[in-house]
Amino acid sequence: MSVSTRTPRAGADKAPARGSGPKTAQRFRLGEPGTAWLFMTPALVLLAGMLLYPIFYTLWVSFSDFDLALFEPVGWVGWKNYEMVLRDPGFLESLKVTGIYLVIALPLQMILGFAIAFLLNVEWRGRGALRALFLIPMVVAPVVAGGVWRMLLDPLWGVVNYTFGLVGIGPVEWIGDPTLAMVSMILIDTWRWTPFVVLIAAAGIMALPGDVYEAAKSDGAGRWQTLWRITLPLLVPVMAAAFVVRWLGAVKMFDIALAATRGGPGNATNVVNLYIYEKGFRSLEFGSASSMATIVLIITIVLTYFLFSISRRLENRW
Amino acid sequence: MVSTAAPAFGSRKTGRARLGRIATITAAILVTLAFLYPVIFMISISFKLPKDIFTVPPKWISEITFDNYVSYFHQARILPRMINTIIVAMGAAIISMVAGSMAGYALSRMRMRGAGVMGGLILASRAVPPIALVVPMFLVARKLGLTDQYITVILAYVTFLVPYVVWLMRAFFKSLPKELEEAAMIDGCSRIGAFFRIIVPCSLTGMVSTLIFCIILAWEELLFALILTNDKAVTIPVAIAGIAADTEKGGLWGPLAAVGTLTVLPVVIFALAVQKYLIKGLADGATKG
Repeated sequence: MSVSTRTPRAGADKAPARGSGPKTAQRFRLGEPGTAWLFMTPALVLLAGMLLYPIFYTLWVSFSDFDLALFEPVGWVGWKNYEMVLRDPGFLESLKVTGIYLVIALPLQMILGFAIAFLLNVEWRGRGALRALFLIPMVVAPVVAGGVWRMLLDPLWGVVNYTFGLVGIGPVEWIGDPTLAMVSMILIDTWRWTPFVVLIAAAGIMALPGDVYEAAKSDGAGRWQTLWRITLPLLVPVMAAAFVVRWLGAVKMFDIALAATRGGPGNATNVVNLYIYEKGFRSLEFGSASSMATIVLIITIVLTYFLFSISRRLENRW
Repeated sequence: MVSTAAPAFGSRKTGRARLGRIATITAAILVTLAFLYPVIFMISISFKLPKDIFTVPPKWISEITFDNYVSYFHQARILPRMINTIIVAMGAAIISMVAGSMAGYALSRMRMRGAGVMGGLILASRAVPPIALVVPMFLVARKLGLTDQYITVILAYVTFLVPYVVWLMRAFFKSLPKELEEAAMIDGCSRIGAFFRIIVPCSLTGMVSTLIFCIILAWEELLFALILTNDKAVTIPVAIAGIAADTEKGGLWGPLAAVGTLTVLPVVIFALAVQKYLIKGLADGATKG
């Protein structure tokens, strides 16, 4: 097969762009849209195979009976799996747990992140070093974070309870008490992710236009006035963007819950991803797991779309 | 430097402002130390004997041992798992970089019908929770006899890395001047030639920071690895989850800290070495859609 017989269309359909060197293209001048699709092909093939196909497969499993002997879905059962999981208190509980986690952890991390970014932004010799050090928690694998914090929060040997003991509090059952376990999970997550918000916020603060501040100063604006009236409004696009990125990470919450609390005690920290994982891969209830996953998928996509459009609007307004 | 923009703080005129400045700097240092403490704690535990770990009050200085790094590592086959993680993370990151930056380029620079929809779909796929993909991945991999193999894990990681790369690189390519490849194409270069000869070399910083992000994300991934591996291809996060589960029954603090330290250390060194690009990439990724 010689390269020269290839038409641009066929090339666009099949050949990954690396295969057809500059020479071919030079000779045939692939039309712009053709070349564009050629560039898209590797990503589209990968995503179609590994993302789109599994999603449809999940849908299919969610509407079928799963035969554990054949180890594949057999026969259409309609909404049976969905009816079952919607009556499953464990699943509903896990949705609630995930909701509580998201509603508390995300705003907390945003506020802390921007506050710390302001602290770190004071000009002095060590500013760059502090900012670099803030990278460190961010690259600690979540599963490691969960494990390490489990030690820190240990009721008997943990440093946190020892410190609390010094001021006469405790011993606190960080992992054993349902409410405190949720607090612990949010604490660990906040430790792991606040630095991410800090770094984005710090970059946003650095990029603020200096002349606006000159003008505000000459108009006699005070420090708080400047912060509330100028800085924060100017930072709204950065906040919106940081929130969306953080949201995209937080809805995938799994590792920290698994390593730190394993969803317990009871179901107190059983976030939905962990619940589905246990259902599918411990109890081998693939049908229910798939319908739960589909429900989560839909909720996530809808909420993300919603947040995305708000974020876009905020970014454009300022 | 844009440091002139530092708002709210930083005036040095009056004594009160000076005091405020010192207080702010002290607070900044304390907050940073508080955030670093768990990592320092982990590293210190990893060099301690059990008798020095399980004491009240906690010992700040104690006998140093490498036992946690030696005996347990052999037993839990940490080294091969480390190598697995490196192979999988590198493989997934490189594949995603190639596919993702080409798509990002097409979306940012080329005329294409349906580009908006395509781009929107790829970006939307960032919102797909991995839990919605794991059941079929497990079933198909099992059927094809592909469980516990590098390629399976690599392809699974591509699902979250490619959208990420497209997102970052699209923003990056948008920021490059159009004249770059126009000049090349007037000189007789094709689009593809212009991309590989002009755009890629000009974008190396952006690409390197994106690549590092991908490696880190793949390095610490747990869910897919947990489901798709069971022995030969087990990655470090899976091993750590196992040790953490054992730790619930008490005891394995030292080994857990040691494995944790070894996982974190290379990434920290890596991240600090390229922090400038990393922070820039992070900020761009968040703000430039």
